[in-house]
Amino acid sequence: MKKNLVFFLLISQIIFAQNTIDFESEDYYYLKKSEHVKISLEKGKLSFTNAVYEQATYNTGNKLFFANEFIPFSDFRKIRDLEASTYLPKENKTLKVAHFEVKDEVGGITFYSDQKSMNFVFPAVSKDAITTLTYFEEVNEPYFMYSLFAFGSGVPTKEMSYSYEVPKDVELGYKTFNLDNTSVLFEKKETKKTTIYTWKATNIDKYESSKNSLPAIKYIPHIIVYIKNYSVGKVKTAVLNDVSDLYSWYTTLTKQVDRSNLESVFTIAENLVKNLYSDPEKAKAIFNWVQSNISYIAVGDGYNGFIADGASSVFTKRYGDCKGMTNILYEMLNHVNIKTHHTWIGSRKKPFSYYDVPTPIVDDHMIATIIIDKKKIFLDATDAYVPFGMPSSFIQGKEALIGVSDTEFEIVKVPEQAKEKNISTIETTVTLDENTIKASEKRTFTGYRMVDFIGDVKRNKNDKTEEEYLNHKYKIGNNKTSYLNINLGDLSAKDSYSITYDLEINNYVKKIGSKIYLNLNLEKPLSNDIILIKKQRFGKKIDHKYIKNYITTFVIPEGYKLKSIPKNSSNELELYGYSFTFKQKNNKLVVNKRIYMNTLALESEQFEDYNIFIKSLIKAYKKSIVLEKI
Amino acid sequence: MKKILIIAFLFTTTISFSQYYKTYNWEENPKLHELTENENSKSSIAILKKNIVEFKQSAITNNISVYETTHSIIRVNDDTGIAKHNQIYISMYNVKKIKGIKARTISKEGKVTNLDENNIKQIENVEEYGDFQIFAIEGAKIGSEIEVLYTVEKEFSPFGSKTLQFDYPIKRSEMVFITNNLTGNIKTYNTDQTFDRTYLEDKLIEELVLTDIPATVEEDYATNDANKIYVVYQCFGNPDLTQEDFWNNIISNIASGFFPEKAAKVTTEEVEKVILKNQKSDISLYTKANLLENYIKNNFTVIDNRNPQANEIDYILKNKSASEYSILKAYAHFLKAMQIEYQVVVTANRFEHKFDPDFYNPNALREFMIYLPEIKQYISPTRIDYRLSEAPSNILGNYGIFINKDVEYYFAKITQYDPDYSRIKRVMDISFSDDFDKVIIDEYQEYSGHWGIQNRAFMTLASGQQKEDFKDQLTGSGIEDKNLIKFEVENEDMNQTEYNLPYIVKSITNSSALLEEAGDSYIFQVGKVIGIQSELYQEKERVHPIEMQYPNQYNYTITVDIPKGYTLEGLESLEINKRMEVDGELLCKWLSEYEIKDDKLIITIEESYYINEYPIEHYEAFRSVINAASDFNKAAILFSAE
Repeated sequence: MKKNLVFFLLISQIIFAQNTIDFESEDYYYLKKSEHVKISLEKGKLSFTNAVYEQATYNTGNKLFFANEFIPFSDFRKIRDLEASTYLPKENKTLKVAHFEVKDEVGGITFYSDQKSMNFVFPAVSKDAITTLTYFEEVNEPYFMYSLFAFGSGVPTKEMSYSYEVPKDVELGYKTFNLDNTSVLFEKKETKKTTIYTWKATNIDKYESSKNSLPAIKYIPHIIVYIKNYSVGKVKTAVLNDVSDLYSWYTTLTKQVDRSNLESVFTIAENLVKNLYSDPEKAKAIFNWVQSNISYIAVGDGYNGFIADGASSVFTKRYGDCKGMTNILYEMLNHVNIKTHHTWIGSRKKPFSYYDVPTPIVDDHMIATIIIDKKKIFLDATDAYVPFGMPSSFIQGKEALIGVSDTEFEIVKVPEQAKEKNISTIETTVTLDENTIKASEKRTFTGYRMVDFIGDVKRNKNDKTEEEYLNHKYKIGNNKTSYLNINLGDLSAKDSYSITYDLEINNYVKKIGSKIYLNLNLEKPLSNDIILIKKQRFGKKIDHKYIKNYITTFVIPEGYKLKSIPKNSSNELELYGYSFTFKQKNNKLVVNKRIYMNTLALESEQFEDYNIFIKSLIKAYKKSIVLEKI
Repeated sequence: MKKILIIAFLFTTTISFSQYYKTYNWEENPKLHELTENENSKSSIAILKKNIVEFKQSAITNNISVYETTHSIIRVNDDTGIAKHNQIYISMYNVKKIKGIKARTISKEGKVTNLDENNIKQIENVEEYGDFQIFAIEGAKIGSEIEVLYTVEKEFSPFGSKTLQFDYPIKRSEMVFITNNLTGNIKTYNTDQTFDRTYLEDKLIEELVLTDIPATVEEDYATNDANKIYVVYQCFGNPDLTQEDFWNNIISNIASGFFPEKAAKVTTEEVEKVILKNQKSDISLYTKANLLENYIKNNFTVIDNRNPQANEIDYILKNKSASEYSILKAYAHFLKAMQIEYQVVVTANRFEHKFDPDFYNPNALREFMIYLPEIKQYISPTRIDYRLSEAPSNILGNYGIFINKDVEYYFAKITQYDPDYSRIKRVMDISFSDDFDKVIIDEYQEYSGHWGIQNRAFMTLASGQQKEDFKDQLTGSGIEDKNLIKFEVENEDMNQTEYNLPYIVKSITNSSALLEEAGDSYIFQVGKVIGIQSELYQEKERVHPIEMQYPNQYNYTITVDIPKGYTLEGLESLEINKRMEVDGELLCKWLSEYEIKDDKLIITIEESYYINEYPIEHYEAFRSVINAASDFNKAAILFSAE
């Protein structure tokens, strides 16, 4: 009699030939990486255990630093039974790691968190050494029993497998990403009591990010698995069947936020809107107050990381994390009768959707959403400089999970902000004094251009002189440029910001015989932007859409006439473009340059077109004017 | 020149009082301080920074305790000022007990917000820094004063130091040093001011008051961190101890592990079977030492954790893992096994700390090197990117203590032996595409000395984008649309055995951006082919003396084809001649010249920095040489149709 009824279900066949990876040319690679998650249901309680196995080898002695290993864990995700060893084939000897130590993880933008790591060093690694690591990961909170397994890392891997074993009375949810056209095999196996889902692959290439890349996980084949529900007898308990389950768990957390002692918070809100009559004005006043008066300090501390300080505490401390800042906006705005909702959202580095994987993996941020005249406005006060009405740049295009009431929610996409909102206008008057260019310039910024400039200038203000800072930032003319009479303007500006200064540039014009050669493109934005197509493995990320308008007025020096001016040129496409026009008016030459970017991302199939565009722009930049003595 | 002052304390007959921190307190009813307009224009400014260090010996147990009190009042004038000061990290390194942490903010309106002590968190074993108590300042607004006061009791250590200068200005800095009749010394650095002896509540103390300390200034070609104002102190029970005793003590400690009587058996075996296998018997000492270093760096891992076994030689040789300090023990045994004479050098990174032979400060003894006196080369034991070389840039020029096998020691400045060690040689052949749209650069480069070592390491250890960026640097950075057609390297293996073998790069690149159009003429941005050059700005007076990475020299020959039917104009921008001579000695120079031979323009450049330390009074001359390179980078020539 057969003990087990086993059947296989093959979903994806090997379609493509195995990748050919030259493992021998690598300094270090994984021989095998596997994870086996086992979900158990005992006495109505779910438990999650992930058996992790990693085996790696060294081909050279160049990168022995891979011997330094750390395994992150937290109160939610604990580790146990960690074993690690090095096998030396030449000596046929195995050395075990005996010293492990725990470190707290700090740094980055997070001030304090309960993230820790287990640290150790594989002994005696050298060429041909093989290291093996095994441990168990445990999760007790069903909402965190999700996991993401990626078929790819910074190091190539010969063999990878990921499996998830669940009892029959637990329903699993999973979603695969980028598995098409890969050699990842899937298998679903039923045993008497459990179902085992397995994904396997061999010869997995390494993934290296390049500059300004979209997140690697958007491209790397991966699987996200989570628990939908479980049954004890006839009673079915929902965990994360869909977004409404996720949302109802989130509301249990927001309900725990301390809402007491709000008098001072309300008083401030009332004072701020005292003489204001329209809702947008009121909302703006409150938003700007929180931006300017509450400092952003990120804290991730177990459940406290999910619940965060209430408005009263944020108000007293004058700092909060994103949830704390949302809490104070929520109280102040609702108090003045502006409908405000807690809103969960993932930053652009998390390319996940609530619909695909209704789990906390989707989001890493919280903002407030207000509704005025049926229009939704997203408020993220963690960005101290973003104008009211615009979301922070890093959540554009992302799904926002808006908590409408205890039971109702809405998912909407935060709109990508139009290029017309983010404008830099650079007005320059250029004169020639012998061989020196003298110019006065005014730069005006709106939207994210303003956010970036103000943030940047404030961060650098104390470390660099203003001149050095501007030289590094703009590289106007050449780096022989002096900045004079710098007026930084009002750095607390909320809608539009201007800076003015004068420039002196030596060694820039060429005077030869009776002629003067001068390139009026003192700045060449995007001229360094050619994409190395072979090296750029992932899509290119663009922070925001924008327009740069240059209005350059050149005063023709006395005794000279314009001998040659470049032809007008333009290349205006849907996603990006430029136009250059030259107009002579009496003794002045006015150059109007408009350069715009109208997308947040370029995928690899668009690279070639983009490079052609940049090359045409460089060509336009190359054109000088020629003056001749009368 | 700094005054060197060592103060020995006198015994006094005063009876012992309780510790000063017990009575020291902040203002009960704080008021906002008056600041000038200029002071308020800073993002943040410290009104007071006070350090109290007190040593006290128990009359009963004779144990010495150390109490350290830190008190600061900082005005924050904008959001970046708040962000800089609203997160407090208190190091728990060697701390036995916290004797109280207090923090408060005083707003512009005079409202006081006290720290809720429940919000203080403990974090443990952070990177290499150890444990901390951390908290965020509560109630800080623009215009607030942030006040923090805490005292810790530390494990007794006779030595300590305090930094007194930061990246924000300080109106008043006070340091009080109390030894309660124990013998102690204290010395200030990077300021002319010294401690005054005075009485405080009947105790004889040493006090230093500095006013208007400017914020630190970050300058290029400077050891910014090492030049901060700081104080080093010593306090111990035995009045007869001298600085020499301290050095002797540490040297005998060091010598016991770093100069073994006999090499461990396993090392002699490895030398025979692996390191010197297939080598001729007459190989040079340089090759021998290189083979040894290559072996260790390909087989041993330097680890950064608290495992005490990582300092024991048996464990180290078995597990091929050692702490940063004890990896020297592995070298020692192998050197002994190979009968190579060596010295151990203890020093500091000159960018962080200037070694002072006159005042013993164990905190400064952070870099351990191996020196081979016969060939005057150094092994940097903890650096996987380095191999046997002249002194690497982080220690070159600092003082160090050199210890030999007989446990004799001497102090000496760490210098470079071969003045021509680091060079870059470039030969470029430049031509143009027929339609005058592209510049084609065929280039041959040799990098020797530190350049060679660093390039090898970078190209081996970096990956992905970093490696691409580095290739860009190696082929002239800042060329906007550069297209790398060929890129080949030679002698790229980090594990070399020949003295100063150059790293060779052969490349062909092209670019359209280097050629600009002007009517029917073309402007060739020829200067850009040498890559972006650093430029020194100086609106403010130079603060720090000049220190370069290491002496180095560049020799370029750039040959440009002159296309038929074109003449060249504007060549004068290619001729730059800048030099710095002090007392008749040439210390650095830039010389670029050109000649036209047949249909070719030949540009030659010599850029040389013969030393790496330049006196501040010659800053302008130094700057003109540095900036000559960036001026040349802007040189352009004009091709006109005949």
